[in-house]
Amino acid sequence: MTLDLSRVITSITEMVATVDPQHERHRFDALRELWTNLDPDDLDARLDQAGVTFLTIRQTREIRDRIPLPPVPTNYAVAATDGSMMTPDRHSPARFYLINTGKVYLRYGDDPLATLTSDPDLRFAEDDLWVNAKQRRMPINETILGLRRAVAELQAAMDLLEGEPLPAVALVDGTLILWMLESLDDEIIDTLLPEFLDVLTAFQKYRIPVAGYISSPGATDLYGAMRVAACDYPDHGRDIDCMDCWRRILNDGHAAACDILPRVTDRYIVEQVAELQPGERTATFPSESRILSRYHAPHRVRFYYVHTGREIARIEVPRWVADDPELLDQTHALIWDQAQLGRGYPVALQEAHEQAVLSMADRRLVEQTVERQLASQGIVVTRTGKDGSKRGRFV
Amino acid sequence: MVVSFRPGTSSRLGEVIETNTTGFLAESDQLHQLPDLGALVCVGGLDAERAYYGIVAHGATGGLDTSRKAVRRGDDHLSDAAIYDRHPELELVLRTVFSVAVIGYRDGISYRHALPALPVPLHYSVHACDRATVAAFCANPRYLAALLNYHGELMPEQLLAAHLRWADTTLDDGHAWLMDATRRLARLMKRDYDRLTMILEAVAPD
Repeated sequence: MTLDLSRVITSITEMVATVDPQHERHRFDALRELWTNLDPDDLDARLDQAGVTFLTIRQTREIRDRIPLPPVPTNYAVAATDGSMMTPDRHSPARFYLINTGKVYLRYGDDPLATLTSDPDLRFAEDDLWVNAKQRRMPINETILGLRRAVAELQAAMDLLEGEPLPAVALVDGTLILWMLESLDDEIIDTLLPEFLDVLTAFQKYRIPVAGYISSPGATDLYGAMRVAACDYPDHGRDIDCMDCWRRILNDGHAAACDILPRVTDRYIVEQVAELQPGERTATFPSESRILSRYHAPHRVRFYYVHTGREIARIEVPRWVADDPELLDQTHALIWDQAQLGRGYPVALQEAHEQAVLSMADRRLVEQTVERQLASQGIVVTRTGKDGSKRGRFV
Repeated sequence: MVVSFRPGTSSRLGEVIETNTTGFLAESDQLHQLPDLGALVCVGGLDAERAYYGIVAHGATGGLDTSRKAVRRGDDHLSDAAIYDRHPELELVLRTVFSVAVIGYRDGISYRHALPALPVPLHYSVHACDRATVAAFCANPRYLAALLNYHGELMPEQLLAAHLRWADTTLDDGHAWLMDATRRLARLMKRDYDRLTMILEAVAPD
């Protein structure tokens, strides 16, 4: 028995009862009203001096703009990559990791072409399993492997599109903002990040736009700006200060003015409040993520939301793409077309995922091959008790 | 009568991807291109002395990954071949397969109308048979008895009728072989008039 469903059902019933669409109606009305009456100049001034504890945006002049779909070229190329990995197994005497990069190149128009491949890269050398910074050394972990995977994905996309004569876009699955690196020491970040930025520089050199595609985004950057717009501190002649507000909530029973807003994501704002139509996108906004201060200025990520016809997707591009209207339009038009071809999600990314994915059977096959070869060297893998109990369950 | 199995010759149709004593499944080299139902095809043996012969018994096109089902891609403005131009990746994520009922083999220079001792080798090429090979293998239609007991996706009557039509067209001998083959079938099926009629009606020349 793993889950006693009968005991959970009561809680589920109670939970569902709290999801009353009418219950928070006034909050959604407040959000709509705030959006409609937004004064971008006032909001920019607020954002400039606000001390906030959440992500937001600046330069909100274009926040309500809806940019129509540019013409989609008949002849174009798209490269998409996605990675999947096996992390080092601490139960095994052989320490290695495997990154499998799915690579897709699709060309449309007069001379259609498709190539779908995957590129497995197994690393076991000491230098691959440790990060050597100037002053210190650390074993790789999931975060560092995640970065290596991101570099492999980006580099693979670069290789696919280098010298491409047609209008093109390189798509990667997920964010270009490596926020997970924030948990690492500065010195380690300085050692690892340049690899990623160097590939972005190569894209810039060839003037091939690169974009991170985030399906069903949970980001709240625009929502953060709306909270700043709703704040009543400026009305009382005070600077916006979330920490102060929080202290007052805890100590004085203060009610935060931004509490009038419902808790929603940017996706909701863009779809339901801004009412973005299929094909349209928002303006681009610079992300305020801390890690971006470590990117070279041209690579600092800007994002926009686009209605793919099926959902609101978040598209992240380096600033040099956002600042180049032709390249920016190219990302918008090609991503839209890709989503149409893929029933709402870019077909190139779909196929890249299919190429990259490592099934349980694939993973077991790699493990078994390692174990068999170790055995031929006279090394028998003895499984630890916990690991063994998971593999061969018994009663 | 020796058939050549030079790799890369245009007679290659596909490759064996599943095999057992009674038949094999082959994946076509080209999407949508597979031998006719009922056609005689051959696969080279592990040595040059041996070759295997079978009748194409079923064909199918679908997702390379069986867990991915094909979905509608077209509409009023995009249909048929244009769909493949608009979705170039389809050529790589779809595949055509055909199954073959093994009915005999060649041992040296003589043809045997019986199941071979070993299954057709996996990953070997499947070739179309030229007219001379068809004439030689089919000269004695005693293998038709084995097809009558075929168990597979089709009813044996459907498979037999398809084979008779295909061989008649390929041999183009004024229906001489077809007459001989149907006479043999009539003897084999003398107690099963209904099934025989079904086959004869299906193969009757126009």
